[in-house]
Amino acid sequence: MIEVKDLHKTYFMGKIKVPALRGVSFSVKDGEFLAIMGPSGSGKSTLMHLMGCLDYPTAGEYWIDGKEISSISDDRLAEIRNQKIGFVFQQFNLLSRTTILQNVEIPLIYRGVSLRKRRQLAREALEKVGLGHRLTHKPNEISGGQKQRVAIARALVNNPAILLADEPTGNLDSKTGQEILEIFNDLNRQGHTIVLVTHEKEIAEYSRRIIELRDGIILKDEVVV
Amino acid sequence: MILETLRIALRSMASNKLRTFLSMLGIIIGVAAVIAIVSIGTGARGEVTSQIANLGSNTININPGTQRGEGGRISRPYTDIFTLELGENIQNFSPAVQAIVPVGQGTALLISGSSNIRATVVGTAPDYQAINDYFPERGRFLLVEDLDVNSNVIILGSEVAGDLFGEEDPLGKKVRMNFGNRTHIFNVAGVMQEKSIGLAGNFNTQVYIPITTYMQKVANTRYVDSYIAQADSSTDAKIAVGQIEYFLTRSLGSSDKFRLTSQDQILEVIDQVTNTLNIMLGGIAGISLLVGGIGIMNIMLVSVTERTREIGIRKALGAKRRHIMRQFLIEALSLGGIGGVVGIGFGRLGAGVIAHFGGWALVISTVSVLLAFGFSLLVGLFFGIYPAYKASRLDPVKALSYE
Ligand SMILES: Nc1ncnc2c1ncn2[C@@H]1O[C@H](COP(=O)(O)OP(=O)(O)OP(=O)(O)O)[C@@H](O)[C@H]1O
Ligand SMILES: [Mg+2]
Repeated sequence: MIEVKDLHKTYFMGKIKVPALRGVSFSVKDGEFLAIMGPSGSGKSTLMHLMGCLDYPTAGEYWIDGKEISSISDDRLAEIRNQKIGFVFQQFNLLSRTTILQNVEIPLIYRGVSLRKRRQLAREALEKVGLGHRLTHKPNEISGGQKQRVAIARALVNNPAILLADEPTGNLDSKTGQEILEIFNDLNRQGHTIVLVTHEKEIAEYSRRIIELRDGIILKDEVVV
Repeated sequence: MILETLRIALRSMASNKLRTFLSMLGIIIGVAAVIAIVSIGTGARGEVTSQIANLGSNTININPGTQRGEGGRISRPYTDIFTLELGENIQNFSPAVQAIVPVGQGTALLISGSSNIRATVVGTAPDYQAINDYFPERGRFLLVEDLDVNSNVIILGSEVAGDLFGEEDPLGKKVRMNFGNRTHIFNVAGVMQEKSIGLAGNFNTQVYIPITTYMQKVANTRYVDSYIAQADSSTDAKIAVGQIEYFLTRSLGSSDKFRLTSQDQILEVIDQVTNTLNIMLGGIAGISLLVGGIGIMNIMLVSVTERTREIGIRKALGAKRRHIMRQFLIEALSLGGIGGVVGIGFGRLGAGVIAHFGGWALVISTVSVLLAFGFSLLVGLFFGIYPAYKASRLDPVKALSYE
């Protein structure tokens, strides 16, 4: 359960204020599939960083599972990210020097899971996204679509309640992109809350609800029929 | 988790071997210096100590002091102070002195048949052998009776015996001695064992005659050149030095008229020299460790910058500050540790080469190895703290968007 109340985020570039979010309010119930849309610079990524507990808001409140994050310490936020949130990025963000399996193990390491258990859970997550046979490959040895599957496996491995994806298909061709979106669809059906950031209408239509941002405020918040 | 981090650290070092090596160079040089210094110091000191032991144990040399030159006279040692009686009195008034022998010496030409050789003639007493731990191989040394009757017996050093008599047995043979412009005939009563050449010079090229014979018949003097005293232990030797000093100052009226040299003093001088050397080289080692630490810090800062994005990813996936801190500290520790191990290797090598040329056994003490290794870990840890702290404080959003 997520609740956003009059959220503001202002970046400071020297003396210049850049308001990225100017009072955003909405809530997301468990199991929703939500798309955040809007043109470039409208504040989508900023909102996603706040929802992912990667940053503190300038003003307003952000509640996740009954906690307001403004007053929570850096390390506690790391814990929340580790246990409740899974990230999927446009640039995949895999560690290039380690194998696919080790990449998926990272969230488990910070959770303090033993090596044996880690191996097993990471393998299961990779099998779920259809990559059970590429465990020892390095990220540069697989395709973009496969990289994004690894990233999804990594986001899922701690079984988080919320999956946040920022333009997950941005670096993929449309066919591969659709495959990735199908995976999100499946995950949503299994009960995961999914927040998908995109600026493409067709992609947003995979979701059940679309929030449209413009210049840091919500333009529309409507259910997809 | 720690092992995992160590693996990551080692892998990232292996992926850039030259850079890793260069950044460890300071540590390597510092540690190598420490290992080599300690080893060379120990080896050299052992060598010198064994040479001193060669002098005879717990001995004190009593030599005349040097007279100041005045009124046209040239400064030279006092020659008219040390008598046989004075030697006896030194022993009587210095309870810590267990034995004392007088020594009078000069050079002479020794002749036997068609061979002749120039040698140092040492006039002394029977205790000379025990004091110097130096005994006859064949025949005998001087006896008290020889001194009582000023007999013309001579004991040959091993080289002198070989030079004068070759393969022949010198015992019972006669030797002519040209000393000054007079000639004396001596009977060979013994040949000394060979003694290795040490700080006290070469005993093997000397010959030994009774001190009384030396003074009354050969050198025509009432004075001896020096005394050698011996104490029972090194503690006693220290006490003896004090007693002799006190007695001689009182009986001669001045402490300028004599000079005491004990093994302790020689050891002290040597220790001073090695200490100075150690401080100097220790300073060099310290500076290279410092430079090495800065090298590690530099490479760690580069590493943190290069891996900003990785840090962002790890934070997004739940790494806390201490996890990131730990990762980079372990990396810095590994740099220090590996540098230390390589340095220990190089130090051993250097110490081995110097030991080879110095002619002593290579000694690498475990303590110095552990100390050097511990220091390199400490340097790695200390200079890794700032980069690791910097990494742990990175803002995840900024780190993730770092190109
Ligand atoms: N770190 C930052 N410092 C200063 N300004 C920033 C920073 N990050 C974002 N901004 C500004 O905030 C505004 C919102 O940016 P944001 O990245 O959220 O947009 P977006 O909707 O994700 O755009 P895009 O579709 O291009 O990814 C933009 O004007 C951007 O320039
Ligand atoms: Mg964006």
